[in-house]
Amino acid sequence: MKKILDNYLEKMEKCLRPVPVSERIDIINEIKSEMQELQNNGVSDEMIIERLGNPKDLAKAYLGDLISREKGFSWNRVLIICAFCSLVGFSGMVVIPCLGVIAPTFIVCGAVCPCLGLIKLINQIFHLGLPFADHIGIFVSESFTLNPLVEFILILLIGVLLFLAGIAAWRLLVFYCKKVSGTAKRIFV
Amino acid sequence: MNIDDWKSQVKRGTLEFCILLLIKKQPSYGYEIISTLDQYPIIAAKENTIYPLLRRLLKEEYISSCWQEGTEGLPPRKYYSLTAKGEEYIAAMSVEWDNLLNAINEIKGEKE
Repeated sequence: MKKILDNYLEKMEKCLRPVPVSERIDIINEIKSEMQELQNNGVSDEMIIERLGNPKDLAKAYLGDLISREKGFSWNRVLIICAFCSLVGFSGMVVIPCLGVIAPTFIVCGAVCPCLGLIKLINQIFHLGLPFADHIGIFVSESFTLNPLVEFILILLIGVLLFLAGIAAWRLLVFYCKKVSGTAKRIFV
Repeated sequence: MNIDDWKSQVKRGTLEFCILLLIKKQPSYGYEIISTLDQYPIIAAKENTIYPLLRRLLKEEYISSCWQEGTEGLPPRKYYSLTAKGEEYIAAMSVEWDNLLNAINEIKGEKE
């Protein structure tokens, strides 16, 4: 196999890094197989590259399909979206990282919030005197402190809201990726 | 008149059906599928459409795949064949397809 074809496959493989290894190898082998078929039919290497199009675009087609297929929130999915983002271009460079940071941060904060609230509540009920526990909570004014139970419920509520906001940002991110993925569009060719 | 736009919508809606029908006829590999579809401009599609689509059909278990070693100068080929689930899917699609054709024919007939 000539160098430009190898280069093509190498570029594709780099773009497909977030795809599990076995699947990635399979994808590359399939494209390689088609290259050999074309060579056997007497198609020149340059024509093969032209036919397959930009290796990034071809990789993007696979990634776009993966994003819309997988369900739920997983680290792997974040990686796929990141790789996809690097291929999408300018709007993706802003929107995807922002949402990509906001979504997990909000989800984590939403989970941490009630935990801290609980720590303070327990601290107050049992007078444990845990260090820094007084810094947790909702600050109203120097002279006014909330009832511990009311405060806990408020914290819980804020936690839930943060969590929901995180989920919403995640959904938006996935929606955005689907929109720009081009897998839907490219089929129009 | 934007006939190309409409044509691409038709293609989008029917490509999956066509690919499954091709694989049902005989187990086939990617390049062969693309070449066959190429003979019909209305459903011809490029690698960046067909391969991800095949991968999705594979994940949804409508088709299965199997690599065959290359022999006598032929490269190794990844053959796709239809699963039982795929058979059911095609059967259901065929019913709806006939419904669509009947509907179009009837509506056309009424207008003439």
